[in-house]
Amino acid sequence: MTIKACQSAFRSVSQFHENERLIGWLKSRPPVLYFTPERRRSILFFGAFAAGMIALFHRNAPWKAYVDPEIWLVPLINFPLFLGLIYLVYLAAKRFRKLPAAIRRRPHLPLHLLFWAAMTVLWLTPSDAGLWRQALVLFTVSLPYLLWRLGYLILSGQRGKAAASRFRDHLIYLWPLWGGTNTPFGKGLDYLSRCEAKTPEAYARSVLAGTKLLLLVLLWEAAKLVMGAAIYGDPKNPLLSQWGGYSLAIPRLKYVAADNSLASLPVTWLSLYLELIWETLDVAANGHGFIGGLRLFGFNVFRNTYKPLLAESTIDYWSRYYYYFKELMFELFFFPTYLRYFKAYPKFRMFASVFAAAFVGNMYYHVLREKNGLAAGQFRRLWRRLGPRIWYCLIFALGIFISMLHQQKREGKTETANTAREKLSKLGRIAWVWTYFGLLNVWSSAVSLPVAGRVRFFFSLFGLR
Amino acid sequence: MSRQQHREELIKFLRSIQRRDSAIKEVDDSQSLVESGLIDSLAALQIVSYLEEAYKIDFGDNAIDPGDLRTVGTILDIIERVTTS
Repeated sequence: MTIKACQSAFRSVSQFHENERLIGWLKSRPPVLYFTPERRRSILFFGAFAAGMIALFHRNAPWKAYVDPEIWLVPLINFPLFLGLIYLVYLAAKRFRKLPAAIRRRPHLPLHLLFWAAMTVLWLTPSDAGLWRQALVLFTVSLPYLLWRLGYLILSGQRGKAAASRFRDHLIYLWPLWGGTNTPFGKGLDYLSRCEAKTPEAYARSVLAGTKLLLLVLLWEAAKLVMGAAIYGDPKNPLLSQWGGYSLAIPRLKYVAADNSLASLPVTWLSLYLELIWETLDVAANGHGFIGGLRLFGFNVFRNTYKPLLAESTIDYWSRYYYYFKELMFELFFFPTYLRYFKAYPKFRMFASVFAAAFVGNMYYHVLREKNGLAAGQFRRLWRRLGPRIWYCLIFALGIFISMLHQQKREGKTETANTAREKLSKLGRIAWVWTYFGLLNVWSSAVSLPVAGRVRFFFSLFGLR
Repeated sequence: MSRQQHREELIKFLRSIQRRDSAIKEVDDSQSLVESGLIDSLAALQIVSYLEEAYKIDFGDNAIDPGDLRTVGTILDIIERVTTS
């Protein structure tokens, strides 16, 4: 068998979701015909109630604690509260033009003010103030999950697209049955509707594309397992004992960063690059799970992660590594800044927009992620956790800005890689992206390491101690 | 100006920012500009600047969906909406 034939066979297996015969067969199967867009949306609508309720119960207390009736009460009080809030935001989006001008100008602000007002009440009241406070704690720590999703709802109103939409359709991405983090995978209804499969053939394509992603989840999880045993020698890894405990025993970045006497300089650099691969596998596996689920429901949306390790620029890497987070920052921070401010100063306009998204938005997103620490008023602990993140966001924003300027200078030209020299140059660009994001991880790994320790570690990577 | 004239102007502009390696000759109104490889994702910002300058559109108060800049047809819809309102 020739190499070409092998490549062709591999392609036909790995790209099975694009196989026209398979699509043709699947589109006439009863499940594909039965699950029409309306039926799929109905499942997601009823599923949203279950997902919302389970999320509240899960966030409130461990399942085994639900013996005390008062513990049941807290999520039961919160569920209608959230439903009411969602409905109010839906009405505001639907009648966006009738809202007061101040709200129309900054429509996301009231939602975020609500979060901070609730947080302030928690800070000012004793933790044993009673059931109402327990309910408020759950309300406040559950809000960040919805805040970004409600952001898409209100954005839809601002763009004049929510007027004809139904409440039930918005609920499907606010409490999504396909799961997710604070980042809204699949964005809001406008984007989902654009990607929705309307015919049996489109649905068959979506199901196959989703199945492929779910298979990739298994593959990337397996790769992580092998990496954990063969490279890191993680004692908890079940594979390690299977092959007699053999491992390269390269320490994880968080351990080397905390104590750089653990490894020599070359091994430390190796650990830095391996961390990038590990993180990429992890993000890809998680994102593929959510997007795979979305595609099974007929929303053939973009992947969250698409070959970021082949990116040739910082901006390209960000887009490929965590697409929906980038989109969130782009739509809620970058674009509004770009459309509103510094129009007469093109470069500064770009700079301000990039910093609004990659620094301010990114940082704020991570502050909201620390909702439990915030609600408990653990400010010192929060500062320890978020201090390094400020540096991360700053360096990141600078990198993105420089990358965008560079891309603009090229006026959209893409470098080709036909000759050996061009191929080498391409490899060099990829290596630079790996190095940049590897070094950036110094500011996000080992959450308990203070800024000074990270600075020391960073310089030690270049032999400066 | 008619939609056709707006279209000709827009295509002329898109040609000026298109990727140099793009071999696309004809642009369909419903074809995704980024996915077809005609322009890159950064071009969305250049399209906004073009609309601001050529049609004096102020997006400050009327938020725009970046998704609406994805095809020639949707960009023309924006122009039409703004020039007729």
